[in-house]
Amino acid sequence: MYLQRILKRILTLLAVIWAAATLNFFLPQLAPKNPITEKLTQLAETSGVDGNRIAELTEAFNARFGLDRPLWERYFDYLGDIATFDFGLSIASYPARVGDLIGAALPWTIGLMVTTTLISFAIGTLVGAYAAWRRDSVLMQAVSSVLMVFSAIPFYLIGLVLIYFLAAKAGWFPISGGYSIFSIPGWNWSFAVEVFHHSILPALSIAIASIGIWAIGMRGMMVTVQGEDYMTFAKAKGLTPRRIFLRYGLRNAILPQVTTLALFFGQVVTGAVLVEIVFGYPGMGNLLLESITLFDYPTIYGIVFILIVTIAVSMLLVDLIYPLIDPRVRT
Amino acid sequence: MTLLQVRDLSIDYFTSTRVIHAVRGVSFDVAPAERVALVGESGSGKTTTALALMQMIEAPGKITGGTAHLKGEDLLALRGDAVRSSRLRRVAYIPQGAMNSLNPVLRLREQILDGLTDHGQRPDRRAADTLVAGALEGVGLSPALARAYPHQLSGGMKQRACIAIAIAMKPDLVIADEPTSALDVITQKQVMATLIAAQEDIGCGLLVIGHDMGLMAQATHRVIVMQDGLIAEDAPVGRIFHAPRHPYSKMLIESVPTLGRRTETAAPAVAKPSGGAGLMEFDGVSKTFGGGLLGRGAVRALDTCSFRLADDHPQIISVVGQSGSGKTTLARMILGFETQSAGEIRYRGTATSAMRAGEKRAYRREVQAIFQDPYGSFNPFYKVDRALSLPLENFDLAGDRPAERKRMEEACEAVGLDAGEILGRFPHELSGGQRQRLMVARALMIGPRLLVADEPVSMVDASLRMTILGNLQRLKDRFAISVIYITHDLATAYHVSDYVLVLHRGRIVEAGLPADVIENPAHPYTRSLVGAIPWPDPNRAWGDSRTDDTGWDARQIIRSQSQGFELAGAA
Amino acid sequence: MTESTSFPPRVERIAEEAEPGSLRGTLLGIGRYLRRNPQLVFGLILLLALIAFTTLGRLFVDVTEARPLAGPASQPPSSEFPLGTDPQGRNILAVMIEGSYLTIRTGVVAGLIGIVFGSAVGFVAGYYGGWADRIITWVVDVLLTVPAILFLVIISAMLQTGLTSLGMALIIALLAWRRPARQVRSQILVMREAGYVEMAKLSGSGGLSIIFREIAPNLMPYLISSFIVAVAAAILASVGLEAMGLGPQNEPTLGMTIYWIMQFSAFLLGLWWWILPPVLILIVLFVGLYLLNAGLDELANPRLRRRT
Repeated sequence: MYLQRILKRILTLLAVIWAAATLNFFLPQLAPKNPITEKLTQLAETSGVDGNRIAELTEAFNARFGLDRPLWERYFDYLGDIATFDFGLSIASYPARVGDLIGAALPWTIGLMVTTTLISFAIGTLVGAYAAWRRDSVLMQAVSSVLMVFSAIPFYLIGLVLIYFLAAKAGWFPISGGYSIFSIPGWNWSFAVEVFHHSILPALSIAIASIGIWAIGMRGMMVTVQGEDYMTFAKAKGLTPRRIFLRYGLRNAILPQVTTLALFFGQVVTGAVLVEIVFGYPGMGNLLLESITLFDYPTIYGIVFILIVTIAVSMLLVDLIYPLIDPRVRT
Repeated sequence: MTLLQVRDLSIDYFTSTRVIHAVRGVSFDVAPAERVALVGESGSGKTTTALALMQMIEAPGKITGGTAHLKGEDLLALRGDAVRSSRLRRVAYIPQGAMNSLNPVLRLREQILDGLTDHGQRPDRRAADTLVAGALEGVGLSPALARAYPHQLSGGMKQRACIAIAIAMKPDLVIADEPTSALDVITQKQVMATLIAAQEDIGCGLLVIGHDMGLMAQATHRVIVMQDGLIAEDAPVGRIFHAPRHPYSKMLIESVPTLGRRTETAAPAVAKPSGGAGLMEFDGVSKTFGGGLLGRGAVRALDTCSFRLADDHPQIISVVGQSGSGKTTLARMILGFETQSAGEIRYRGTATSAMRAGEKRAYRREVQAIFQDPYGSFNPFYKVDRALSLPLENFDLAGDRPAERKRMEEACEAVGLDAGEILGRFPHELSGGQRQRLMVARALMIGPRLLVADEPVSMVDASLRMTILGNLQRLKDRFAISVIYITHDLATAYHVSDYVLVLHRGRIVEAGLPADVIENPAHPYTRSLVGAIPWPDPNRAWGDSRTDDTGWDARQIIRSQSQGFELAGAA
Repeated sequence: MTESTSFPPRVERIAEEAEPGSLRGTLLGIGRYLRRNPQLVFGLILLLALIAFTTLGRLFVDVTEARPLAGPASQPPSSEFPLGTDPQGRNILAVMIEGSYLTIRTGVVAGLIGIVFGSAVGFVAGYYGGWADRIITWVVDVLLTVPAILFLVIISAMLQTGLTSLGMALIIALLAWRRPARQVRSQILVMREAGYVEMAKLSGSGGLSIIFREIAPNLMPYLISSFIVAVAAAILASVGLEAMGLGPQNEPTLGMTIYWIMQFSAFLLGLWWWILPPVLILIVLFVGLYLLNAGLDELANPRLRRRT
């Protein structure tokens, strides 16, 4: 039964990825601009290429990138390529391969987002559960209000405030970048420290708001759980407050949070595009913005495909994990 | 010698503008091994009193005075960790909502053991196994269920598990808060028997909170009746049922229908004959839910059923069954809210599926209903007047505004409501009883020929039940309306109806006059249903309860036919 | 046994109560309620202050100065320019007044379109069910899983040149209907089975009357809440797109201001009077909308109401 469901889920996953990939292929075809012409016009302006030759060059490049072939042919090529995670050559950063561009950006984003998300989830969930547990304490009401305010503010606005006060004014942290422009990336201690130093402000701006979001969500669930009959019975059983809080309250209230967490991971790739842009962080967000403004279709395809796969996988993950933490859906 | 001695217990609740004295200086005793009932209607203070013994009154409530000595120690004077430590070990609690009282993510084993652990007992693995098995067997559950999660258990099993958890430390006093309120009558009896056996086994005192006088008569030694935070009467069960002294206890006891004292109504009034077509006719009707192309496991809600209800013999026909028996499906098909899967439903000779506009309108007007939940029947956005004015306007029953107003006032009076007090209010401003009576008024004002009453009194306080049903009965005679009374309660069906159908898993298993079917049931299912009714008579034994239904055959027993209602036997 | 005089009366009044019907009683009741629901109060205060700023502000400040070369470049606050100017010579106070208006307008327009279209779609799905429901639910589910920012970035990048803030609102409205649709659908599914709907059928009400007179009034609290959430989401999306440089280049919206701040490296230039105002206004706007919604939620949903 369980196996059958997993199989069905995986098939659905493949279908979703296919449908989304197809949509992703055809949607940009509607764009009124030819990326090659765009790129060449841009080149003509900056490097003085004769404007009259642009049409001629366009044709040559169209042939080079295969854009002169019929749409359906390109569609099947596209499907074949993405199945092997080969997204071809970038137009904007020619002759770099899209796979390499993504490969360079992805670790930055994942490193920043996954660590921050896990830490915020742990802190936010605990604080939120405790805030509900001690609802009558003035301190916890104040904490809840502050968390509520933070949860409403977009990450990048907090980022701007942090940059202004802690980087520009106090000078404790660099204003932008993933590492100093003077150092060479490598697997050594001093570079690692530098990367960490650069990541503190972006991480903090995400964490402040998302701790608020997790805490407020958890607080609401915990309040609901506290009204459940089993909490009354647990109290009547004379259990220790610690056990009631952890095994009866938190254990039940956390269930929807876990679903949200898994779905949150699905959005890791684009979860903080603006934070990356604000901080000039060399991750997927900046790559996405760059490729869109330069009409670099192969790179856009690549990013979007990665995104769809992470979302679909995270949904599959929810389906697989949930029965393990909630016996009611196990049957 | 007493086990528990409660003196002058007072509990207040504080709102922003009021103090509500929920319990006002209550005193009572419980003897060792005694079973005491604490009865009263909602808001009488019975649950608050019991919870105070465990210091489980939560803000905005507060214990403002009194003592409660258990074996000489004042439970209300305990402070700090002593409060927690006395729960389960000395005073145990069996919760009301058995459905949701167990932690859904923990196995039963852990939920039995965690209480012991937190009271300083740390049995090793083997001892723990024995202990859990013993606790489960003690309440008639298989030891294999130790590894089960609550959602894998039925309602009755969950309530037994709660009992097992509560008595695991052999407390001095057990408080059972409406322990069977969510269970059907057969399971109720089994669970009650389990509770009593367990209580006798450990010899503790038992305080049963409830509102069902019949159940108390069967299960307890002494009854304390509470009203408005005071004790109205405190007497041994034998005395209180035969000679209640307080008018309120007398009213509570009389509001429970008993066997044998059936109030015979006058012979049904004969309305104008309508020829051969009859009023409502079911011709081989059945209903299946689910199934189809994609769904698996179709559910047969109602098996093939045929009857014909005549127009000229107004009568009350009771359809009795437990939840899932198909009785509500039957009601909804009569009302046209559900389409039958097979067969034909005819109203005044025309199939409901083939009605013309005018016939449809007549059918809508003439077949009315009263539902279980009187609050949900009112649109919360409008004042209650609209429940009455809407049908008057839609069916053109009153000409102008003043005429409409007059009709509405008359309708209120017909069910004993003061129109000035009721009209112009919002639904949440009325009591449950007022809302339900207003629904009765609405149905009658429209002048239906057939009234479907789906559990009309199950959400109304006991004292009002017989009043509302009595209303129905009188109005049936006065306006010559036929009533289909849908209920799970055999006792009320026995009293108000002219004919009874017993439904079990979608099938009519027995049908006949109430005196035959209920006083002398023929079908084994009816027998066990009737046997499980707790009659409010301590001298009458709670009959035998069969649980295994293997012997229940597909037989359908039609004891007799009623004039004006012809039931066809199953094919 | 009857009630003896030694027992206190069952209910005692300890404070003045709202006399139903009277104005004083109503005010007293509202006052007590608001004290219990500070979120609603603070949310309203923040939003009203912002609306007052942008409506009253333009009476005192010439908002046409929210364009480049309206004054000298990069001036710190002075009596002539209370919030200074930016490197292109915009009067920042004028930018804030006009920008708040434009940004709120974008949110309200997109939110309104989203809520109207979304509730219509949700309604059809919930009330009529069947295949329409299955298709709509599937489409909404799929659209909800793909991050909105991706769609929006692609669409606005395609249309970038000559985009106005109203065009921006329309683009955002393309996706703003998803959540209202889902929410309305689930509410309709519940209300369709409500006892009062069946009662209305028995009272001879037809399909349309049931939709508009029975269900719609009860849907209002959900629609209002959905609307506020949709407005907040639309503002979030528009400011985000603008901050990426994908917004109306010639209009002084708050998001475009953020974009220019980053383009001109305002942090390195130390132009604090340019950086802080738009960030603060946006924070007030988002927090205000959030608190208002949380407050209304508590008002509409008694289950969440704190015990009195």
